[in-house]
Amino acid sequence: MWRAGRLEAMPIRKLPDAPPSIHILGPTVFLVALGVGMGESYMWPRLVLLFGPEIRWLFLIGVTLQAVVMLEMARYAMATGESIFFGAARVFKPIMWFFFTVAILVYIWPGHLSAGAAALEELTGIPWTVSACVGLILVGVLFSMAKVIYNLLENVLSLLIGLLVVGTAVVAAMVGTWSDVVSTITGMFHFGYLPPEALSAAWFPIIVGSIAFAGPSGMQQMWYTLHLRDSGAGMGAHIPRIRGLRHAGEEEAMPARGFMFDTDDPAEMAKWRGWRRWVTFDALLLFWGVTMLVTVSFTVLAQAASRTSPDVTELLRAGEREAALNAMSDSFAAAGGPALGGVFLGFIALIGLNATLGLFDSFSRGQADMTYHFVPGAKRFRMSHLYAGFLWGVIAFGIVILLFGPADGPGAILDILAFLSTFAMGAYCVVLLLVNNRMLPKPIRPRLLTNLIIGFGAVFYLGMLIYSLFRFGVVVG
Amino acid sequence: MRDRLELAVPGAVVGAVGGLIAGALSAFVGHPAGWAAATALAMAVPLGLLGGGFGLLVGGGRFRLGVFAPAALYWLVGFPLARLVAETSTGFLLGGGFTPPDDVLGFLAYQGIVSFGWAIGFLWLHERIAPHWLDKVRARNALAQQWYERYVTHARVLRESSARARRRRAARETTARTK
Repeated sequence: MWRAGRLEAMPIRKLPDAPPSIHILGPTVFLVALGVGMGESYMWPRLVLLFGPEIRWLFLIGVTLQAVVMLEMARYAMATGESIFFGAARVFKPIMWFFFTVAILVYIWPGHLSAGAAALEELTGIPWTVSACVGLILVGVLFSMAKVIYNLLENVLSLLIGLLVVGTAVVAAMVGTWSDVVSTITGMFHFGYLPPEALSAAWFPIIVGSIAFAGPSGMQQMWYTLHLRDSGAGMGAHIPRIRGLRHAGEEEAMPARGFMFDTDDPAEMAKWRGWRRWVTFDALLLFWGVTMLVTVSFTVLAQAASRTSPDVTELLRAGEREAALNAMSDSFAAAGGPALGGVFLGFIALIGLNATLGLFDSFSRGQADMTYHFVPGAKRFRMSHLYAGFLWGVIAFGIVILLFGPADGPGAILDILAFLSTFAMGAYCVVLLLVNNRMLPKPIRPRLLTNLIIGFGAVFYLGMLIYSLFRFGVVVG
Repeated sequence: MRDRLELAVPGAVVGAVGGLIAGALSAFVGHPAGWAAATALAMAVPLGLLGGGFGLLVGGGRFRLGVFAPAALYWLVGFPLARLVAETSTGFLLGGGFTPPDDVLGFLAYQGIVSFGWAIGFLWLHERIAPHWLDKVRARNALAQQWYERYVTHARVLRESSARARRRRAARETTARTK
């Protein structure tokens, strides 16, 4: 038995063998789907056009930090088969309830659908609220009918992201030039560059927000632990998988806590190192590599667009997101014919679709996990029922809001939501330090350097957020 | 020979689809349909051929399943060459002369960087499509059967370790309930 915190101790079980080769398919696909969103396709190209490619050193720091966070999230999830929320509850239960509440406040609003659906409207003429509502219902039906939700989602997202990556590479190969990519890449190494305008009340909060949105933002990294578990990585192999509502009856009973392996056994530790290699490959190549590729490509595209159409720079400066994306599409259409503009909007719609699919699943997964384990009486239900409850709840609320309310959330609380989303990132760095250093056996705890990087992450996110708030009186933009 | 060619199908399809996207992009640069077809052909053919070649190397056991490094090296050479061929031959296909890019070295270097992204996407899609295709043709194709078995072994190692763990846990829970 391994005692971690005041909650139930974890029984010792065998760690499964790590995958025999460094294989390219894995749960990182979820993180990529969630992470490659507006930050990569809009926010960073915008900053590069306004402040020059040198500003990208902040992106490099943001994404690299997120890659380390991902590895540390995986450490706890693979060693125990528990989510990071469960780990947080082992440290101090109110921390977990904080994340439970933040998730509902931040992620219940369907605003994230708007960019993708608006791009679709531009392409097809279908009003975006209609396609967004139909999309919401389709997502619900799809996830309810699936036998094992993880398998379905991994297949769908893999195909979509595969197309996105191949397409982005081809577009970049045709549109970009050597000098664009040189300036974009060398810009990543101008550490410390900050033009005076960037330190103004108008721009600093936007830069903080863009760093937070480099790669997965808000609680997306925490949800990754649930996907790792459902993919059967490490001790996650001992936990049953979530099934769609139609197949909920086939689900095995969910254990009340995770498991630990024998860290004194050299054979088990060898397997553990195999798992760490597996996830490190995922973090470096898939997560870091794909995120970089998509942003570099979109930045190159934005630079090409601004050369042919000065409107693009002006609209980006004004923060008119959809107008700027449309202007970029128009400038591609002018330079390369209507199809090129269409393909660009298609990409934006695809990114939106990926993010929405991933977000709905992740939100429901996280809330169901916390409810099942920590709400008294919730164990009467199966995890799949709770998952379906949260999924359809957020879909129903989303449709009502799309039809009658403000999609991003009430204007009065928008600042609070943006604050909470970035605050959660600083908070999960602190949680990671506590969970991995106190709840895991010594041989598998993180090294000093890793702790320093995660500690830096906590100071970085929380520090910039608080600086922005006190210096300029504005939360992140 | 036919057996070997069938191994090349998934890679050739992914390569050609990528080429067709490229064709669709440059094809409609306000040029007539002939230009469109020429650009699509110029990209889809070399990428498709190279994609097929990649399939042959994996199917023949020269590259390990799903591992990135060989794919990245393969495309680091192959992608810039495919782009150079496409760029140079489009004009020729339209009845004019060859049209190589002005700065060939800069062009190749840039395409080399982009090739990493292409390699990730290519491998990603290839690994999704290949097992389904092999399952379809393996009854009549011994080479496909061998390759398919490598996928099955790979998947079995993963699944069995999870299934073993689940069985053990289920058995323990049953014992605990009956006590």
